[in-house]
Amino acid sequence: MKILAIDTSSMVASAAVMDGQKLLAEYIVNHKRTHSEQLMPIIEKVLESSGTGIREIDAIAVASGPGSFTGLRIGAATAKGLAHARGIKIVGVPTLDGLAFNLPHCQGIICPIMDARRNQVYTALYKWDRGGFYKLMTHCAIALSELLEEIKRREERVVFLGDGVPVHRETIKKELGERADFAPKNADRQRASSIAELALQALERGEGQDPESFVPFYLRKSQAEREYDRKTRPEGCL
Amino acid sequence: MKYSFVSKSPGDTLKFGIRLGKHLKPGDVVCLEGELGAGKTVLTGGIAKGLGIITGVTSPTYTIINEYPGEIPLYHIDLYRLEDGDEFYYIGGEDLLYGQGVSVIEWASRAEGILPEDCLWISLKRLDESKDFRLIELTVAEKHRDFLERVSKSENTGH
Repeated sequence: MKILAIDTSSMVASAAVMDGQKLLAEYIVNHKRTHSEQLMPIIEKVLESSGTGIREIDAIAVASGPGSFTGLRIGAATAKGLAHARGIKIVGVPTLDGLAFNLPHCQGIICPIMDARRNQVYTALYKWDRGGFYKLMTHCAIALSELLEEIKRREERVVFLGDGVPVHRETIKKELGERADFAPKNADRQRASSIAELALQALERGEGQDPESFVPFYLRKSQAEREYDRKTRPEGCL
Repeated sequence: MKYSFVSKSPGDTLKFGIRLGKHLKPGDVVCLEGELGAGKTVLTGGIAKGLGIITGVTSPTYTIINEYPGEIPLYHIDLYRLEDGDEFYYIGGEDLLYGQGVSVIEWASRAEGILPEDCLWISLKRLDESKDFRLIELTVAEKHRDFLERVSKSENTGH
């Protein structure tokens, strides 16, 4: 089983080739959002440098959201095109699952935050427990203040990562003090290898879908819903 | 915070736009309000010039977004033909507003829910004194105090 994984959900563009034994190639670039120009050449590079023909690929893994609207569309369209032409499946891996998986066997809670603008973050909470990777709180788009309230109700230390960190680091430090840690630079942004590993696990469970039916998810409320919420209660999880 | 300027001709409006363009930074979002013929496109043309863009600016009413590449790119957006902020989001609008360019938006109130909190609002109103006169008012958040000071100072020096 060999898969090609891509993640273009943020400023980072990344692609990787992985099989059941090892990570064969990975490419990560975090410099300007030019995914529409960069993604195909990057895919070509990881395939070429790992000596993999596109015909050897058994499934395409893609970061399925949340994230930048345009970025998710580019990733989804590319995955669909490749999978359709080859007649293989797509495995959508939630972006935040992939980010959190950058910190395997980590202690405490893992909290990826992606900047959702206007003081909101896309976030979820994860935890490793005796070798198992668990989601404590599912994906949501919430105000940072609301996330910090949720974290304060828990005891463990928390590791933050993602492109929301530079935006909110000072507030997080102020509110959580010693309880907050921040992931190092080698692990704090999207990497296609994390998407690849989670996709391989999903394939083993029999997951994966036809390219026609795959859609990214934006985790964003419609304007009508947001206006309704503003009148009734603060924004919550989806 | 507010700054007012009386334009006595399209040439004046253009020059005011150039002054604005010289002081705008990547990520700034300018929202324009004013009726048809108030000078929104002329003002945007000035902003483009101020940013160093040499291509002429045309109305984006039918194209919705006109993109002008440059050292700081300009996104000239007209939301008149869109229903609400969702439609703007689903053409990738949010990625533009929070990107590396300057955005100028006409009919911005349609997408108020997805606009940044610190937009610069500019209204252009006709004055009774002459058919060419316009009262141009710039309203900005505290964050843009420096910008406002630089723009008002440039009135005297012309830079």
